Amino acid sequence: MYPLEHIILQFLQVFFSQDAINGVLGHPQTVAIMVGGLIALAGALPGTFLLLRGMSLTTDAISHTVLLGIVVAFIVLAALSGTTPDLSSPLLIMGAAGAGVVTVILTEMLYRSGLVRQDAALGLAFPLLFAISIILVSRYISNVHLDIDSVMIGEIGVAWTDTTSHCFAHCESVTITSDDARAVVKRECSNCVSENLYPRDARAVFENLCDNCRTYTPGEAWSRGYSTQKPELIFFPKSLTIMGVLTLVTVLFVTIFYKELKLATFDNGLAASLGLRPGALHYALMTLVSLVAVGAFNAVGSILVVAFFIIPAAAAYLLTDRLSRMLMIAPVIGILGAITGYDLSRGSVLGLFQMSDILKQLDGPLHLKGYTTWNVSISASMVIMLLILFIIAWVLSPRYGLIALAVRRWQQSRQFADILILGHISHHEGTPEAPEELNAATLYEHFHWSKRAMQWSLARLRALRLVQIEQEQVVLTERGREHLMNFRQEMGVR
Amino acid sequence: MTSADRRTWLIILGLAIALLLCIPLSQIIFHINYNHTLTVVALGGAALGILASVIGCFAVLRHESLLGDALSHAALPGVAIAFLIAGRQIVALLIGAAIASWLGTQFALAITRTTRIKQDTALGIVLTGWFAMGLALLSYIQSRADASQAGLDKFIFGQAAAMVQSDVEVIAIAALIAFVLLALFWKELKLITFDREFAQANGVRVRALDLLLSTLLVLTIVVGLQLAGVILMVGLLIAPAVAARQWTHQLGQMVVLAAVFGAFAGGSGAIISGLDVALPTGPLMIVMASMIVFFSLAFAPGRGLVWQKWQQWRTRLSLTQGQPIAAQPQSEM
Repeated sequence: MYPLEHIILQFLQVFFSQDAINGVLGHPQTVAIMVGGLIALAGALPGTFLLLRGMSLTTDAISHTVLLGIVVAFIVLAALSGTTPDLSSPLLIMGAAGAGVVTVILTEMLYRSGLVRQDAALGLAFPLLFAISIILVSRYISNVHLDIDSVMIGEIGVAWTDTTSHCFAHCESVTITSDDARAVVKRECSNCVSENLYPRDARAVFENLCDNCRTYTPGEAWSRGYSTQKPELIFFPKSLTIMGVLTLVTVLFVTIFYKELKLATFDNGLAASLGLRPGALHYALMTLVSLVAVGAFNAVGSILVVAFFIIPAAAAYLLTDRLSRMLMIAPVIGILGAITGYDLSRGSVLGLFQMSDILKQLDGPLHLKGYTTWNVSISASMVIMLLILFIIAWVLSPRYGLIALAVRRWQQSRQFADILILGHISHHEGTPEAPEELNAATLYEHFHWSKRAMQWSLARLRALRLVQIEQEQVVLTERGREHLMNFRQEMGVR
Repeated sequence: MTSADRRTWLIILGLAIALLLCIPLSQIIFHINYNHTLTVVALGGAALGILASVIGCFAVLRHESLLGDALSHAALPGVAIAFLIAGRQIVALLIGAAIASWLGTQFALAITRTTRIKQDTALGIVLTGWFAMGLALLSYIQSRADASQAGLDKFIFGQAAAMVQSDVEVIAIAALIAFVLLALFWKELKLITFDREFAQANGVRVRALDLLLSTLLVLTIVVGLQLAGVILMVGLLIAPAVAARQWTHQLGQMVVLAAVFGAFAGGSGAIISGLDVALPTGPLMIVMASMIVFFSLAFAPGRGLVWQKWQQWRTRLSLTQGQPIAAQPQSEM
């Protein structure tokens, strides 16, 4: 990762000053939104395909079992290298992504046996793998910093603190040895403790121990005053690199294999018969999902990352019928959620109102003890914003929204009422019972409607000049007769 | 009762006795000392296993296995709000959790009823959305200079080893309520599980019974949450039910067998974790339950993979040795 960051930074320096770059990369809000936006982008693209394949909850299973991969890779790496591995090292990410793929394979094996349904297979596989990982954590690495809660929850707000430093000028790394003038040397008895001697004992051996003898990176050397010139450093957040690379891989994968993915999603059989190998594509997609889930766990935790896969795709699904548009809309919604989510975590709901005002109102009944500052988890707020955006799409979608649905139902019921009345008139006109059946004042009784509803319908029909009232009788007009004929023809009734 | 039924009941009885025998065996082989703490934890684990697996049978049969997953995550905001209103009272926290999960189910149901979004996606939306609200509230609570919230997140992630007698009583009461309700509406629940349309046509109140089942599911999850944790609760709901499904084709037998399996998984998980302090109880229950599942998938009579292979082998043998087919040259068996 280091060379890649270095190249990017060198490129950026052509256009911006170092202070400007450091200002952006060291700014908590910018970094949080950038990381969140990248996660949203990298999640929404595969999420769209998963939704269309009916596999949304597979991401949930994968993101939970990723913990097993992290734990196993952690134990193996620790055993091999003898040190505590870095939680953002590529090897760890690969190992963890492997566990995600294992979950998918295990689920499919259970499912293919024909004895277990798909949902149950998923529900069997991931609690088991998760349980194993918890057992491993508490058995082998309980003393190491690998907090399960932090894996489950994560915090994007601290993404800017975990950085790699890049040095561009005056890169003087200082090595202090024991004969250096700056070395802090103490004379200490080396065998006093092991042989239980007093320092004054004749057998005591004294050695010069150096307190600060090691190699200092340029940044450390400057902050301790060992180097003379200030090094030009740029601090690059690790999450940004990881998510940047993963996003790039995802975007490339989806653009290169767009046609294949589309065909495999909508007609798996055809894709197979055309030799597109939908099986291989399926596992590639699952590997990608696992990689993104692992890459994001540090920032948003393994549960909330699922939201970035599912919710934007679901919202986009309500807004369009075309796959290509869905793939555009879903990332936009995701990124919008990341941006507005940051504001929400600091107390501003879409700029409309402030959370602290609400908290002041709630202070009485909820025993908030006057604590009305809303300053909460950023990753959680981003997901809440995604949920809110989903609800907005659900209500307002022009074709599938709740409002559109209500309008459509209302129109249908109105049309149905119209046709019903017209049909009733045409059925009874000219018959002996017509005066009784078609009396405008008592027509509602024959339909078992309320008087008011009938008045409304008749008024509308008269306004449309489909019926008229002659001598207190409802009569079809020429237009009304035509309207009814058209309806009958449409419905195939003679 | 047919002879096949009688045989399955016998198998179930035999398994129950065999699993009960594990208690004296464990005393003899592993020298486990059943002190008060261990007895309480084991009893609680077994009771939770029974409750979860019985309710889980209906969830699995209705293809709603992952509803439990969504509901258990959706409980978090309820816990947080209940804490804000009533403080650290366990009953209030449970009620809050139940209300939040229940609202989550209704939200998911509303999505699937009014849009073309499928159930699994709707559950995913509720799961993550509710959990995020819970986390935001939790981080608000934790940001206050107030120590009383300590361990509130343990409520969600579970701590089975910290079980006390009152917890066991709560589980037992919840199980009693659930079983009485199941017994009262047994016929109707059976009908809506296997043939919804037929039930509806016969005037069974399907919606009300759906509500009853999801309420029971919420009750189970809420009771089990603080002991087994969110994710492990899913396993405890599904695994025994899936295992039991392999042994029988009858709902009654399946429920009883699942209860036996659940009790064994919960109890043995607790006992094994008693052997070693570093082994957490909840995960061990899931591992035991999963082992039962894999055993059942392999060896269950009639459905198991080993059984299937044996049947295939027998058929092949009879076909190759039997006269009628061997006489035909074009069949290459």
